[in-house]
Amino acid sequence: MLRQLRAALRAGVVTEPGVATESAPLEVVGARLREEIHRRFKRSLHIRQVDAGSCNGCELEISGLTGPHYDFERFGLHLVASPRHADCLLVTGPVTLNMAEPLRRTWEATPDPKFVIAVGDCGRDGGIFRGSYAVVGGVSSVVPVDAIIAGCPPSPAALLAGLLAAIGRRP
Amino acid sequence: MTALVYVLAVIVGLAAGAVGVGGMLGIGMTWRLPALLPLGGVSLVLDPLAGVFLALVGFAAVPASLYALGDTRRTPRGRVAYLLFVGAMAVVPLAANALTFLLAWELMSLASYVLVMHDRESREAIRAGWVYAVMTHAGVVCLVVGMLLLGTWTGSFEVGAWRAAALAPGARNLVWTLLALGFAVKAGVIPLHVWLPLAHPAAPSHVSALMSGVMIKLGVYGLIRISLDWLGDGPAWWGTAILLAGAVSAVVGVLSAIVDRDLKRVLAFSSIENMGIILIGLGAGVLYHAAGLPALAVLGLTAALYHAVNHAAFKTLLFLGAGAVVHATGTRDMDALGGLIKRMPWTTACFLTGAVAIAALPPLNGFVSEWLTFQALLQNLLIERPGVNLVFALGIAALALTGGLAVACFVRVFGISFLAVPRSDASARAHETEVPPRLAMTMLAVACLALGLGATAVAPALARVGSELIGVVGSLALGDALTLDVSGNFASLSVPVVAVALTLAGLGIVGGLAITGRGRVRRYETWSCGRMLQTPRMEYTATAFANPFKRVFHFFYRPVEQIDIAAHPASRLFVQRIEYANPTRSLFDDWLYRPLLDSVHRSVRVVRVLQSGSANLYLAYILLALLVMLVFA
Repeated sequence: MLRQLRAALRAGVVTEPGVATESAPLEVVGARLREEIHRRFKRSLHIRQVDAGSCNGCELEISGLTGPHYDFERFGLHLVASPRHADCLLVTGPVTLNMAEPLRRTWEATPDPKFVIAVGDCGRDGGIFRGSYAVVGGVSSVVPVDAIIAGCPPSPAALLAGLLAAIGRRP
Repeated sequence: MTALVYVLAVIVGLAAGAVGVGGMLGIGMTWRLPALLPLGGVSLVLDPLAGVFLALVGFAAVPASLYALGDTRRTPRGRVAYLLFVGAMAVVPLAANALTFLLAWELMSLASYVLVMHDRESREAIRAGWVYAVMTHAGVVCLVVGMLLLGTWTGSFEVGAWRAAALAPGARNLVWTLLALGFAVKAGVIPLHVWLPLAHPAAPSHVSALMSGVMIKLGVYGLIRISLDWLGDGPAWWGTAILLAGAVSAVVGVLSAIVDRDLKRVLAFSSIENMGIILIGLGAGVLYHAAGLPALAVLGLTAALYHAVNHAAFKTLLFLGAGAVVHATGTRDMDALGGLIKRMPWTTACFLTGAVAIAALPPLNGFVSEWLTFQALLQNLLIERPGVNLVFALGIAALALTGGLAVACFVRVFGISFLAVPRSDASARAHETEVPPRLAMTMLAVACLALGLGATAVAPALARVGSELIGVVGSLALGDALTLDVSGNFASLSVPVVAVALTLAGLGIVGGLAITGRGRVRRYETWSCGRMLQTPRMEYTATAFANPFKRVFHFFYRPVEQIDIAAHPASRLFVQRIEYANPTRSLFDDWLYRPLLDSVHRSVRVVRVLQSGSANLYLAYILLALLVMLVFA
């Protein structure tokens, strides 16, 4: 333990300093998100994330959103544990054969009104797995998709921008 | 023929109930047949307290016998024993001399012993019968010795003479201890309860309903008699002992109930818990009596009597419901039940009523009597003795903990057994019972509701019985037709108003949803994380429900983890079977009965040396005995 302490002391602070200015791109997007969510969803948007055979690259970026830097809950976005509580499904992965039915059931279990966002190139059209015998190919081949956030994987900033665009497009 | 016996039992029950109600209302009766038996003959006296318990026996015997009428699997065995059982229980509260009492008591015990042993092929029933016989006779020994001592010291075996006699304090304490031990065994007071969770599940359901609903109440009857009536005014420690025994029984009973998987054993443990609640009320009454506060003594006694009546109603109901379930599914294991609400709607509705009542939720009867018990306990500061107040505080804490755990226990019993998807084929094939059992259960469910809503009629009637027994002039004022008022304006409760408020709140929620929800209802399968295969094995089980309690009360349950893994002979990586068990260990078996039995075995081994089987040695004994007698003669 002493060795660990010594190592920790010798290494010092290695994290990058945060950029916390009002004009940073993240804050601008976040402020608009908060405003839109406040207006359209009465203060909060609940998201159920579905991994339909993803390589977990997209999941890493999505979980980055919940970290201290992005901390997307302050904009009114929440990841929930059941589609019963969700307004929105965030689907990743090329939709493998085994995940097609669970994805459909998740969509059925989500109360109306709901919308679906396909995340990543895989979610868009199967990505590098397109044409494989093991995938259905693209989220839209199983459930209706309202918006797509492309990227392999999309960065947290891209995810936020995509969410904003998806919300903004809704009537 | 079988039907005739049970119809006769119904008639006997109705007659006993009518006579009992008459006795409660003050009609006194005395029957004497001095020629029939030695030591004073048969002597029966009907007074208000006897009336309460006689009515209890009668009115519980009616639905139990009705239930037996509809049980198509019944065997002819046990009909006579059943009639004797009901008859003996009806005589016990009336008995007015030692011999009548002991004979009726023993007949009741023997008849119930025969009924517990009705399935002579099952090892479980044989063990249950054996433990029951030993425990109940240990109790009878205490009663016989106590009553013989009392008879010798007072010079009479009549109850009236016991009341008049002024015994020395030491003698009175000894007699009280002996008799209290005898009655406590029958009442299932911890740690003398070991027979109860074995005997109740082994007996047929209508018998376990009567054993739990009425027979163990007669132990309370005995405790009331010796503490407030037969032996005159007692010291404060009698009440302290009763109250503490009740507190321990209540908590330990409900803790044991909450982890058991056997439907009928859960109900048996819950009976121990409810006996504890009754004894808490009674103990409070006795303590107030010793402290010279007769009005409060009557209140405590009223609470105890009320809970006794209520427990007779809902526990009989629950045992009959459990019997219907066991009859329909062939199992008592809650982890093999489930889904019965769709298959047995009538039984489910009645069982739910009983479960709500026993969990002491308003507006049913259990709530009223537990509320009265609390009101009796909460006024203990009128006794200005810190020691006594501490005892009361323990009683209040135990009662509060018990109330919470009882709700959890019956949520578990009802939720696991009746709701969700069937956990076994037997449960999936279950069917509703015949008409007579349904009638019996409905009667009892209505009784639970009536005893709750009609509290303002029941409580004063029982309070009158209590004041008669304690000798208070004038009856206890308990409010008007709608409201129960305890001790002036110490506390008040109006069950009808609570019922109306609850109904209105329920209607308000339903109506509000109908208006604001705009009627949009979508029916879809239960969310199951998108799983394809949904089997009953994925359901929440009774064991899983109990696990948090096992962890929190680890020191009490002392659970053992047993994992047995059988691997393929070729490689231990291929597991063929895994068995997991997490049984609890009984504190009382390990720390009380096991050492006791071990010491008995050890001493028996020493004595065995004397009886070696050699005839020569036996002849030597005879010679020795002869010589000793000659020397002393």
